[in-house]
Amino acid sequence: MSMKTALSYLPELMKGLGTTLELTFASLLVGCTLALLFTLVLTLRIKPLNWLVKLQILLFTGTPLLVQIFLLYYGPAQFDFLRDSSLWPLLSQPWFCAMLALALNSAAYSTQLFKGAIDNIAPGEWEACYALGMTKGQALGRVILPHAFRRALPAYGNEMILIMKGSSLASTITLMDLMGYASRLNARTYDTLTVFTMAGIIYLVLTGIMTLLVRLLERKALAFSR
Amino acid sequence: MDASTLTNVFTRYSGLFLDATLMTLGLALSALGVGLILATVFALGELSRFRPLAWLTTSVVTILRGLPELLIIFFVYFGFTHALFLLTDQFVELSPFTAGTIALSLIYSAYASQILRGALLAVAKGQKEAAKALGISRQRTFFRIVLPQAWRHALPGLGNQWLVLLKDTALVALIGINDILRQAQLISVQTYEPFTWYCIAALIYLVITLISQNLLNRMKQHSSRYVREVKA
Repeated sequence: MSMKTALSYLPELMKGLGTTLELTFASLLVGCTLALLFTLVLTLRIKPLNWLVKLQILLFTGTPLLVQIFLLYYGPAQFDFLRDSSLWPLLSQPWFCAMLALALNSAAYSTQLFKGAIDNIAPGEWEACYALGMTKGQALGRVILPHAFRRALPAYGNEMILIMKGSSLASTITLMDLMGYASRLNARTYDTLTVFTMAGIIYLVLTGIMTLLVRLLERKALAFSR
Repeated sequence: MDASTLTNVFTRYSGLFLDATLMTLGLALSALGVGLILATVFALGELSRFRPLAWLTTSVVTILRGLPELLIIFFVYFGFTHALFLLTDQFVELSPFTAGTIALSLIYSAYASQILRGALLAVAKGQKEAAKALGISRQRTFFRIVLPQAWRHALPGLGNQWLVLLKDTALVALIGINDILRQAQLISVQTYEPFTWYCIAALIYLVITLISQNLLNRMKQHSSRYVREVKA
């Protein structure tokens, strides 16, 4: 493999970068929002809802991401009422289905992370809040959650990288992301080693940048504990 | 679809799914076996006092962890043929099962080596020194004193990683291995019932995960049976 051909693949691969990044950030945003809601439901033990959240976590952490993506993309076509509904333009779109699957998957894992962080907060903090006359909601919103999220940040950074890597599975439902362009280029040139090495380098750079960003954020968020 | 055709369908397809489940489990278990050996090699490599070796292993592990699993599987499956073609001018295909096992064990070992390394470092230094004072040989110390204690530290992490590996096996459906997901894919194309069959696939994965979790909990209890618990 010569350096020149390797570099000539770059522009083609870079076309998929946008989709990969969009997919990653959209699903992280939706996933994180859902995870925050789910964490609240679990912590405040809102009765019928917390069972649903537990079920969601069980289903999405217990099955492979690829199955979830296939189920969301191919599954709805089985039902005529869904095909006729106004939701169909959305549900037949690979981008939306991949985003939804990634977001729900990320929400399940992040909820576990956030709940774990809250459970690990020293009981003294809750007691101090109550001693100051705060209600449970106030204590949670003003003291416990801000603290817990800072604690959960390093683990959430890993989750972000996992979702970025997981977004490559979107290429299996015809979406042209980085992996999608890499597969197409491979099928066209048969220059497997070079094409996948170049794609791998781009993914590694992305992972590196994300790791750095999370480190910086961590240093800011956890500044008080040093 | 009425009840009798439903049972008919289930008896027809249950055999296929049983085979597919065995394929998934076989692949996951062989990847686990190879992965654990690789992980031990990587962990010892990273702990090596020979700097270049430690540096090399760390970079290999970091690269493996930074790449999408799908890319690693494609790289091994298609790349092997390509590399052999460049070297020998012959077109040899690696069987999907072998390629899947290699790729999955590489992915598993990249994460497991970190867990093992941490566990080996977590065993108190005094344990080694005590063994030395008793005149136990270095090898025996490693296998009889350090490793069993490291195992206890490593088990929860390795168990989690096993659950990840189990779910990653679904990716090999894309290189044509007849696993649970591929079987669901094939049947749903035939019957035009994608929702039903992908749900069944998801359910099988869920059951395997739950059984694994149960077994892992028992193993955890067994491995820490000598640990005294302080009750507050």
